[in-house]
Amino acid sequence: MSAYRVESHGRIKHHQPVSFTFDGETVEGREGDTVASALLANGKHLMGRSFKYHRPRGAIAAGSEEPNALIGTTRSEGRFEPNTRATVQEIYPGLKTESQNSYPSLKYDIGAINDRLYMLFSAGFYYKTFMWPRSFWDKVYEPFIRRAAGLGVSPTVEDPDHYASRYLHCDILIVGAGPAGIAAALAAGKSGAKVLLADEGAEMGGSVLSEPGVNIDGCSAWNWLEARLDELRGMENVTLMTRTTAIGYYHQNMVGLCQKLTDHLTTLPEGAPRERLWRIRANQVILTQGALEKPLVFHENDRPGVMLAGSAQTYLNRYGVLVGRRPVVVTSHDSAWYAAFDLADAGAEVQAIVDLRDKVQSELSDEATKRGIRVLTSHTVTGTSGRLRIKSIRINPLRGSKAGRAETVNCDALLMSGGWTPSLHLFSHTKGTLRWEDDTKAYLPDQKAEACHIAGAGRGLWGIGKALTDGGEAGVAAATAAGFTTIAEAYPVENDREGTGISLRELPTDRSPGKAKAFIDFQNDVTAKDIRLAVSEGMHSIEHVKRYTTNGMATDQGKMSNMNGLNIAADALGKPQTEVGLTTFRPPYTPTTFGAFAGYHKGSHFEVTRKTPIDDWAEENGAAFEPVALWRRAWYFPKPGEDLHAAVARECRATRESLGIFDASTLGKIEVSGPDAVEFMNRMYTNPWTKLGVSRCRYGLLLGEDGYILDDGVIGRLSDDKFHVTTTTGGAARVLNMMEDYLQTEWPDLKVWLTSTTEQWATIALNGPNARNLLEPFVEGQDMSDEAFPHMSVSQCTVAGFPARLFRISFTGELGFEVNVPARYGRALWENLWEAGQQYDVCPYGTETMHVLRAEKGFIIVGQDTDGTVTPDDAGMSWAVGKKKTDFVGMRSLSRPDIAAPGRKQLVGLLTRDSKTVLDEGAQIVADPKQPKPMKMLGHVTSSYWSETLGRSVALAVVQGGRDRMGDSLYVPMPGKDVEVEVTGTVFYDPENARLKL
Amino acid sequence: MADAIEKVSPLHALAEPGRFGDTSGEPGVGLSERLCDSLVQVQAWPDSISALKKAVKSVTGASIKPGNAVATKGDVVLMSTGPGRWLVEDETDDLEVRLRKAIGADIGAVTALTHARTVVSISGERCEWVLASGIALDFSADAFPVGTAKLSHHHEIGLTIHRTGDQAFDLYVVTSMVRSFWGWIARASAEVGYTVS
Repeated sequence: MSAYRVESHGRIKHHQPVSFTFDGETVEGREGDTVASALLANGKHLMGRSFKYHRPRGAIAAGSEEPNALIGTTRSEGRFEPNTRATVQEIYPGLKTESQNSYPSLKYDIGAINDRLYMLFSAGFYYKTFMWPRSFWDKVYEPFIRRAAGLGVSPTVEDPDHYASRYLHCDILIVGAGPAGIAAALAAGKSGAKVLLADEGAEMGGSVLSEPGVNIDGCSAWNWLEARLDELRGMENVTLMTRTTAIGYYHQNMVGLCQKLTDHLTTLPEGAPRERLWRIRANQVILTQGALEKPLVFHENDRPGVMLAGSAQTYLNRYGVLVGRRPVVVTSHDSAWYAAFDLADAGAEVQAIVDLRDKVQSELSDEATKRGIRVLTSHTVTGTSGRLRIKSIRINPLRGSKAGRAETVNCDALLMSGGWTPSLHLFSHTKGTLRWEDDTKAYLPDQKAEACHIAGAGRGLWGIGKALTDGGEAGVAAATAAGFTTIAEAYPVENDREGTGISLRELPTDRSPGKAKAFIDFQNDVTAKDIRLAVSEGMHSIEHVKRYTTNGMATDQGKMSNMNGLNIAADALGKPQTEVGLTTFRPPYTPTTFGAFAGYHKGSHFEVTRKTPIDDWAEENGAAFEPVALWRRAWYFPKPGEDLHAAVARECRATRESLGIFDASTLGKIEVSGPDAVEFMNRMYTNPWTKLGVSRCRYGLLLGEDGYILDDGVIGRLSDDKFHVTTTTGGAARVLNMMEDYLQTEWPDLKVWLTSTTEQWATIALNGPNARNLLEPFVEGQDMSDEAFPHMSVSQCTVAGFPARLFRISFTGELGFEVNVPARYGRALWENLWEAGQQYDVCPYGTETMHVLRAEKGFIIVGQDTDGTVTPDDAGMSWAVGKKKTDFVGMRSLSRPDIAAPGRKQLVGLLTRDSKTVLDEGAQIVADPKQPKPMKMLGHVTSSYWSETLGRSVALAVVQGGRDRMGDSLYVPMPGKDVEVEVTGTVFYDPENARLKL
Repeated sequence: MADAIEKVSPLHALAEPGRFGDTSGEPGVGLSERLCDSLVQVQAWPDSISALKKAVKSVTGASIKPGNAVATKGDVVLMSTGPGRWLVEDETDDLEVRLRKAIGADIGAVTALTHARTVVSISGERCEWVLASGIALDFSADAFPVGTAKLSHHHEIGLTIHRTGDQAFDLYVVTSMVRSFWGWIARASAEVGYTVS
């Protein structure tokens, strides 16, 4: 047995030894230990090095608020995690742990030189230090800072674990299973409401676990706890969840819970996720998260062995560990006295209780005297000694606010308490407001923004008795609000320890305040001096103080530092705390893995991928793919040895010379039906639709209310009251939503229904001189001659025996058809056409070739050749705007002065003087590349390709006053050269459209 | 020709029969896919809802139920998907034609969606658990009784969900996304073990 293990105490299994390693050394703990409690049981307080100064640090707390004892854990092969809190990680055989932020070893760390140079690292040092010379910014400072930044090391292999998620709806969610939470669950559970009680610990009970001497309802605290938890387990409507942290509280009573499922297990169950992220939607939420103990701020308060008194009490009563054999207690609150008594009763020789207050209750001093503990009221602590663990402290009598002559007292632990801060992080996530209460010296919940209740220490009620009563009442209130009926039980409590105290800033000292290393934020190495420096340098908002010093910005979210930082900043500003305000608590409450947030969505399931019915064929035939919106589209079909350029050139040639086949299924399709369909179309689109005959098509242009082009597509009239509308691939959902919005809010009088039919139809485009030759034998019910079925026609017929909507349209400038068949027939039709098309050397082509072919014809792609600021006239498409129309979406905006003003950017063509040069898309355009910088930019290149058909490059661009610059020379600055271009029209190929009429 | 390929599903390469995930006990759920023979959307004008209901009954023999209650009769399923809007499913191949004849433009609109949806069925003791792993609905029997249907989504995948039994749901999934959806539901089911049939 180690010198610090107390067999008579604790809830761990003393007869079940468990071995794990820390920095390669085998450590023996007991089943139920955390890494921290096991190390402390072996007398090891040194657990890590601090972030900035590399100061030796040990555990200061016993829970998730721990800022110091951050370790790396290897749970099994590939399962490494940095920055795990040693106070939370449960031990099991085979667990490997390691300290962080030290080299070559934890005891002898080169980085500790920073502590000697601490004057260089004061608040905001990086804002002042790395300013000059400027040439150092990229090559010296940033690489240096990046190397120095961060804590712990990232895993080097892919996380082998998987993560799960779940939604849950309940009547009442209770966060925190301390006495208040349990009493609330009992009251709410008896009402029949669906109750969920969650706690971040491995076992429920909260402060009851650390106060075994209290009697509740006539029995010992632990027996009461076990009986009550059994009672809750027996209620079918109550769910208990341990190792489950409420990480965030969101609108409409949604609370995120992260449940750790396997981090404490040696053997992982088959298929079990490591963590599960719960999204709880609760009718009522009860927050019973208790309170966090506040450290005292004095010189060298961060030495290993300096610990919160309540945490020392927890280590003793839950884990059977004395954190020191000869501790000293320093406090401004009664609660630390009780910790001292518990440790003394367990065999520790408490050297002294140092209380900053003038007087304490006589019962406390009597109890101390009875145990032979020296009591020093109106005293302070002004320093500590010990390289890797505390050896002694300096105790000084207080003379008013000044420290008198110091006395050195040897010790092996220093237990401190500066009072308690209600844990209101989750409450603050909801934008609930806080108010300062002087009686309890704490911020308490004030105005609520959600249907929540707060009970126990969370609203400043100290002691188990008050927590039980308050929790029960909260349970009743929540159940009543959720529509249930219940009553709260009374739980008489004996030997309760409520306590009072005072709240202090940094303690009085007998040394120069400028040299005191009195830490506030242990994880970010922020001292009281840093706070005062920030204020003196002009940071008068607490939010600025926070960011300038980084106080409260570490992974512990300032759980222990925020109140001390606020107190000191208020003093430096000469304002009361209430005027200084609080910084904002943000989710997550404790660090949460990315895996928990990602859940099932990793690898190929990271994002939804839409696939067409012909996608499999494309994959089987070697297509390269590209994402377009959520779709996976065939980009090009390379043959062996071909790159993108070669494949696209071949696909373009084949389509222009004979026949290309293209999967256009991703185009958005909306069926517009109803007696008022034509009126609806007239109002939505710029084009007129009334006179469009049945079985005819028209190119439709859709504007936003601002008059700028929003979407486009070919629209076929299937009957008097039905249109088959196509949209861009990426714009389908947006267009449907816009149409629905207008229909439901602006024109509810119109009898029109809109239905997305994108999924219903597979669309195959055939383009090229042989398109009709291939298709005609497959078509029944439609004469395919040019006379009977001219360009811009639509027919409902059959193709290869499949019911089809056959369009004669073209996005390539060649004779073209688009065959729509019900989606499940898509691949069969494609294969039929493919087989029959071999006689015409049919060539499958992808989106890249489609882009080239349409650019050669000057057809725009919305979102590429337009950017949300292009009007129909800018795009040279005034022909698509009905001149006699009295209204359509965006019409009024087209008459705004700046829309009609001369000099707007207009879509034009660009031909490079050197025909082999292909411009960069997005490149800027200038009139004179030799003009002084900054140059006047006239526009930019929107589309640019190598045209295999024309044997030269072609480009589209938006250029100021572009149509007045026809034939002009402009310049496109590109890397290494300025490219001269000629401004031309946008149609480079077959301007007479002769090829459409074959 | 059309009949010969009718049953080719977008899931044909994914939904292979077998036992998957946790195999330590009884499978928690069973998954299967189903292609509708006919799935048609009917939509009434505000003043023609009664007429449309009569027309649907004349064609299918089933009466549309109020709210989100699903009407079933033989192989016919009628589900509300919004005000004045229902999905009609049966096992014929001419449902759309018959509905179109009965529902003129004065009564409403008829749109075939047979190929636009793929049905993923889930059944078994843990089906509520699996569905709640990624769909933000309350799947408890009180909130989602047998014989009702709800609209929801998983990420960006639109879903119409019909509770067909105490431990059984049919999910009508947008076809182009059904492969992604299957990938998710298979992962979510792995923890409890699942079969594919």
